[in-house]
Amino acid sequence: MTEIQSALLTVDPAIAEALEEANALPPEQPSLPPGEWIRKNLFPSIGGSILTILAGAFSLWVLRALLGFMFSPARKWEAVWTNMRLLMTQAYPEAQYVRIWVSLGIVMVLAGLSLAIFRSGGKISMKRLSTWLMVGGFGTIAAVLLTPHNIESAEAEEPFVERSFAEALGDRLLWIIVGAVVAGIGLAIWYGLGERRRQIFVPFLAVIYALLGVAVALLWVVPFGNYAFIPESADAPSEFVAETGVTVAETTQTPWTVMWLLLGGAYLLGTLLRNVIPGNIGKVFLNFCWLLAPFVIYWVIQRDPAFDWDHIWSTDVPLFAAFAIGGGLLLYALSRPNFGEMGRLVAAGLLAFSLFNWVAAFFGWYDDLFGLYEGFNVLQKVRVSFLLLALAALLAPTFAGNRSKRVQFAAGWIAFIGVVHYVFTVVNTPSTLEGIQADTFLGGFNLTLFVAIFTMIFSFPIGLLLALGRTSQMPLFRILSTIYIEMVRGVPLITVLFFFSNILPLFLPSGMDLTELAAVVIGYMLFSAAYLAENVRGGLQSIRRGQFEAADAIGLTTAQRTGFIVLPQALRVSIPPLVGQTIATFKETSLLFIIGAFDLLRIGNNIISQQQPFLGVRKESLLVVCLIYWVGSFSMSKYSQKLERRLGVGER
Amino acid sequence: MATTITPPEDKSPRIQAGTRPPFYRDTTVVKWIVQLATLAAVIFAMLFLANVAGDNLALRNISTSFDFLSIDPGISLSEGIDTEPVTGGRALWVGMVNTLRLSIAGIFFATILGTLVGLARLSNNWLVNKMSSVFVETLRNIPLLVQIIIIAAILTGLGRVTLDSGPYPGWLHITNKGIGVPRLHVGDVFYQWAVVMLFGCVAAWFIHRNRSAVRDATGRDTRPVLTALATLLVFGIIGYFIHPIFSFLDGPLRAISDAIGSIPQIAVQLALSVLVVVLAANWIRRFLNSRRTPAGLAKLTDDDYFRMIFAALGALVACLVFLRLWPGLSDWLINSTSDLFTVLADKFGDSREAITEQRRAAAIAADPEAVLGSGSPGPFGFEQPNIVKRGNFANYGTLGINMSVGFAAIFLGVWLYTSAFIGEIVRGGVLAVAKGQTEAAMAVGLKRSQALRQVILPQAFRIILPPMGNQYLNLTKNTSLAIAVGFSDMVQVGQTVSNQTGRVLPVLLITMLFYLACSLTISVIVNWFNVRLKIVER
Repeated sequence: MTEIQSALLTVDPAIAEALEEANALPPEQPSLPPGEWIRKNLFPSIGGSILTILAGAFSLWVLRALLGFMFSPARKWEAVWTNMRLLMTQAYPEAQYVRIWVSLGIVMVLAGLSLAIFRSGGKISMKRLSTWLMVGGFGTIAAVLLTPHNIESAEAEEPFVERSFAEALGDRLLWIIVGAVVAGIGLAIWYGLGERRRQIFVPFLAVIYALLGVAVALLWVVPFGNYAFIPESADAPSEFVAETGVTVAETTQTPWTVMWLLLGGAYLLGTLLRNVIPGNIGKVFLNFCWLLAPFVIYWVIQRDPAFDWDHIWSTDVPLFAAFAIGGGLLLYALSRPNFGEMGRLVAAGLLAFSLFNWVAAFFGWYDDLFGLYEGFNVLQKVRVSFLLLALAALLAPTFAGNRSKRVQFAAGWIAFIGVVHYVFTVVNTPSTLEGIQADTFLGGFNLTLFVAIFTMIFSFPIGLLLALGRTSQMPLFRILSTIYIEMVRGVPLITVLFFFSNILPLFLPSGMDLTELAAVVIGYMLFSAAYLAENVRGGLQSIRRGQFEAADAIGLTTAQRTGFIVLPQALRVSIPPLVGQTIATFKETSLLFIIGAFDLLRIGNNIISQQQPFLGVRKESLLVVCLIYWVGSFSMSKYSQKLERRLGVGER
Repeated sequence: MATTITPPEDKSPRIQAGTRPPFYRDTTVVKWIVQLATLAAVIFAMLFLANVAGDNLALRNISTSFDFLSIDPGISLSEGIDTEPVTGGRALWVGMVNTLRLSIAGIFFATILGTLVGLARLSNNWLVNKMSSVFVETLRNIPLLVQIIIIAAILTGLGRVTLDSGPYPGWLHITNKGIGVPRLHVGDVFYQWAVVMLFGCVAAWFIHRNRSAVRDATGRDTRPVLTALATLLVFGIIGYFIHPIFSFLDGPLRAISDAIGSIPQIAVQLALSVLVVVLAANWIRRFLNSRRTPAGLAKLTDDDYFRMIFAALGALVACLVFLRLWPGLSDWLINSTSDLFTVLADKFGDSREAITEQRRAAAIAADPEAVLGSGSPGPFGFEQPNIVKRGNFANYGTLGINMSVGFAAIFLGVWLYTSAFIGEIVRGGVLAVAKGQTEAAMAVGLKRSQALRQVILPQAFRIILPPMGNQYLNLTKNTSLAIAVGFSDMVQVGQTVSNQTGRVLPVLLITMLFYLACSLTISVIVNWFNVRLKIVER
């Protein structure tokens, strides 16, 4: 998209939509007749034909082996369906399970709103849709027919199973019917619409939503997971026994339907709102919600902190109000353009004071000064707030400007300190969850997501600082950042994790305590930050020198130049590698397995295979773990490619 | 960025030209103050942490000494050059060697497969193209650890070893003990075949030169490279059958060996001394030449004199070493060269058959029930993996390459995973070569294959190299996941040793330093290539 187009986008929704359509839909090429296509793409020459035949034979062989594996009578896919809950959330207490659904509901609402407000998704023609349906349907039938009917295997526990072709087909009749129905729908669209199939378009999101609807409807029809877990008893608190009873489908069909409806409802709401809300407010608000959502979901909803409301009203809220109002006013004043030396003096004084606070805390000078704030946490919050306020005050001249800019700056501070205080309070409040310890409520895929999300959130600022340090003109910063980045990048993640899970406790002063999970997340974070710094550095180095010189020429300070000129451009360039880094972090969460956490991989590999009905079942659950990881990484990488095209990296 | 920036109205006292601002507004001073403060904070934090760690270690009675390196750790390793290491240091060394072996094998095979995959993704053939893109998109989106564990799960789920384990007995054994494949084996008559190939190379070189000359003169496509390769192939095939004709070389080689052996020590010493003196004199001459200007010899600085004096002194010291201090050097030179020719002579003539028989007998004596791989009587061939039966259980023998389940899992894992990434790099590199290059190559009449080989790939190689080096680094670091499948790599051995001896900190330190050293080595090598391949700009 050119600048003009993006300018238009903010002007008129109608033009914007027209443009979007034009961008989304390249003119459909008249396709070659099938014979021609095959000759051109598969049998262009003798060498090419031989290659095609060899490759075809090889891929058929692999496909047959895979299908034989999946359809083998020895497979116990039931183990996976039954243990879906274990894979997803491990030991989250049964009675509190609604919390998981609420978390998912929040994500669904946010996703629906975002899809609408960010105007995601294009349109596809009915022709293409029917082609997909036909490929899917006939592909399913072909796969069923290809599947070896005699299952022979070199594996020890599954002997040779001899069946006639008809017998095997009988087992898989359902799949053939499904394939035939899907292909039939495709054919009906193809021939029913005639030539109009090229002109009629449907929104892509609607197709996806319909597919999700089919998946949800299946839960009401097919009894997945023909075992259920007995609620934990006093005899076996940590043992998970499976026995026949209620199916997993039955217990999840209602929540999933609600989720499905929430997603659709939020999307519709978003389409209404996006024409009402002016400017970028909706987008900014949604991004803020996405950032806040993990904290809310994990610390408030899933962990259910036992809030001491008296304490909150008497201490936490006034403290927040003091910092928000006082700090906001101070920053509003300090960011006046002609404040001069006074502002720097105030900021320096604040910095000195907050640093003194830390020194005093370190030597324990005023431990009993504030008798009414019993506890370390409140004082810690005050210290952190003062430090942040001092840093913001130092930045104030950078944001100097007219009244609305200064109001924005002050409002930004209030939102920021609000989040900080909120996180502080929530994190320091113990959990009320029964039956499990407060910090082991995470497990399975939930744990994987937790580590991935918080690693990315926290490693981003560190990585940004390291990148700025490494490209800085101040030699000491450059040397320190370079040493850190290169050392971390030179060692494998697993050694870093071992260090943080085994050795970090040795480095903590007495009285300070870290759970192993927290230590490990810190390890992930510091590791990821080094790689992230290199990605951002790539972006920083792509900025032309003229930009720096222009910024200097109009008299911007170093901070202004970095914040307003360099970083916005550099980050835009480094978004694709940053998404790549997110994918890498997501995949690296599997290393939690090695340090003994109960993550997705451990449950798939070790836990399910220990259950009485599914002894030794590993490959099935591992394959599903693979699938989960694959879907996550693949969709992110597709998204990154789309983003790359949209940002026009390398074109503008 | 939509933010409008109002330049701050500076009300601070105007800075007079030529005067310095007050120190707290002087950017140089402020920057240094900030930097030094940060450095002080970092150093303070580190000292503080070290102090705390020291207290905690003393409190928990954890030792950080390195004495475990020379103490028997009492562990046995699953595989490696030494499965019963007698010291902790030796155990770690075994782990390092295992990691290095794994990494080198992985890098070698991943480069080959990755390049093939990358080129396949550029293919016009729809099927090949789709196959490789499925390969890439599947493998790079699944965590390596999950892949490794799946491979291990599949292998351990397989049947037991039997004497006829397959799928292709004698060529490929895949069982719950791991994977057995043939090893490329160099026979004793290889050297006679190599002599034939020596002539083959000479002939190929002449033919290549001739054909190139014809091509340049007439413009016909005479296919010089293809013809030269065909010549080599013909020589190779002929040599495979006629190589015994060179067994007569036995005599001459032995004569050379004897002749070298009979050279008196003093002769070598003198020859070496003369060589060094000549070299030094030559260097001084060239140095003086380089200082010569059209107006005559430039005035030599003290530094120049020192250099020449050092060169002369160096030569004298070398002579002293050769003649007096280390006479063994000359002996060693004589003996080793003589031995080299004896060994070469042993490879020819009749003695080799005796040696082959001897080795075969030794192998059978060591393992009487061994079903020996067919081996090969020719210059080279495959040493097939074997399966032997001891007592009731069959197991892999000593021939061929037998990978344990752990090694097979981690090796296949890093190999395929890195191949997928390298495939993308190769594809990206080829696509990054400007389109004009292809068009220009076509315009001057090159064929598609020629354009690829002579225009596109050399340029793509420059683009590919740095990310390729990164992948090699990643592969090396990824081998540390071997701990999940119990292969004795550096990390796994380190964990075992630190569990046994309680030296967590030193072991982790050694492990990290080892990986740092590996990373550094690979970076240096890649950088060296990178500098050499860089387009020389003005």
